[in-house]
Amino acid sequence: MQNDKELLDMIKESYPQHPSKDFIFLTEAKLRQKARRMNRNGKVKRLSAVTSSILFFTLSFSWFFLFNGKEVMTNILTNTGGEALSTAIDEKDPLVYIYHTHNTETYNVKEPKSAADTYSETKNVTLVGKELSKALKENNISNIHDDTDVLGILEDQNLSFSNAYNVSRLKLQETLNEYKSIKMVLDIHRDSQKRSYTTVNIDGKDYAKISFFVSKINDNYEANKAFAERLHEKLEKLYPGLSKGVFEKGENPRNTYNQDLHDHSLSLNIGGHENTFEEAYRTADALAEVIEEIMNE
Amino acid sequence: MVDLKNLESSIVIIYNDHYLDVFRFLVYFSGNQNDAEDLTQEVFIRVLKNLPHFKNGNNLKTWIFSIAKHVAVDHYRKKKFISVFKEGFFSQLESKEKRPDEEFEITEMEQLIHEAISKLKPNYRAVVILRGIHEFSIKETSEILHCSESKVKVDYHRALRELKRKLHFDAREVLTNAK
Repeated sequence: MQNDKELLDMIKESYPQHPSKDFIFLTEAKLRQKARRMNRNGKVKRLSAVTSSILFFTLSFSWFFLFNGKEVMTNILTNTGGEALSTAIDEKDPLVYIYHTHNTETYNVKEPKSAADTYSETKNVTLVGKELSKALKENNISNIHDDTDVLGILEDQNLSFSNAYNVSRLKLQETLNEYKSIKMVLDIHRDSQKRSYTTVNIDGKDYAKISFFVSKINDNYEANKAFAERLHEKLEKLYPGLSKGVFEKGENPRNTYNQDLHDHSLSLNIGGHENTFEEAYRTADALAEVIEEIMNE
Repeated sequence: MVDLKNLESSIVIIYNDHYLDVFRFLVYFSGNQNDAEDLTQEVFIRVLKNLPHFKNGNNLKTWIFSIAKHVAVDHYRKKKFISVFKEGFFSQLESKEKRPDEEFEITEMEQLIHEAISKLKPNYRAVVILRGIHEFSIKETSEILHCSESKVKVDYHRALRELKRKLHFDAREVLTNAK
């Protein structure tokens, strides 16, 4: 028996005894997410599907027959048919993934009394990502814009701000697993410097300046840096002065900015809190143009 | 304990109570930290999905472990299938599975143990880990493995004997006794 115990103890000691901290945290977050989805699917969906379909049926029935619905309906069908089809194709093989780890960073704040004033739950940097997504689609570059309210999730789960990258990582990872077609990942932030540092005038129009930051502590460091520099150079050619360049960060505090997940990952700031949304949108459009050129190379 | 009205808080409690045990079971079974983490996540996703079917009177821990055993055996089958292809081609390539931040260094003896365990057939492996290391009772082990108690006893002894043979454990003991 002594012999057995000795053997078993040896086995026990020869394997790692603890999973990594990241893993423990991420798995819990994932389970929460799935549990919530199951709850919703179970109750709300069934109930709301039944009630809303009844409501919809009665409404459309009365509209169709009592009012002049038929004519309008045929018009709408013929008009929107083509467009609906093209967006469906768009989402099949997305090339670009756009997301916002600090999704509540906002613009157009002239004199913030505290840092909290430069964040907004409703009107924020997500809109700039949306503009970029729209501009890319107009150039026939299919993309996914993830507008997850990361900071809202942190608040719901009582997690600290430093966990934001762990939360935004979940959807990114899931999407990258699902779509192998993605060639570029963009995490869009907003800087907090003074207006004079974050604005440039090109051909009489004010643009919000871009800066790229690359994490030094991940396996894709070299590839990501080269890619960021390529984009910077392209921007310099088309919109001189718009890009401030590529900055290296991530050593203190240590952060990969999720750049370890894809070798064409870019984290970038568009403008600062004193820029207007208009200026940031203009930059998003310019960026879309450059991305299209790079994609076609 | 299992409150279906609040799936989220139930699964979080269950996860936090059991992840370490499940992880350890899977690390012994798979022999590698990364696989064990992936499989642990898979186990708790299955636990969550099947939670509505769990009967409150039953033993939660043995139920979770029976899921873990299924996940482990499924993984083993897939791996075996893949290894048939890999063996010829890639055996010379160095394994890149170890992460750079992994500080766990493996000694020669540990290497031998890992090899011996990975060569046990899955059922023997599970019985050794459950009975021997996690110290489940015979009855609990039989519940987890869905087999009779006498099979647990027989398999456990055979598995241990095989392990010792592979590690020359008996021979070593004879030598030390002879001194």
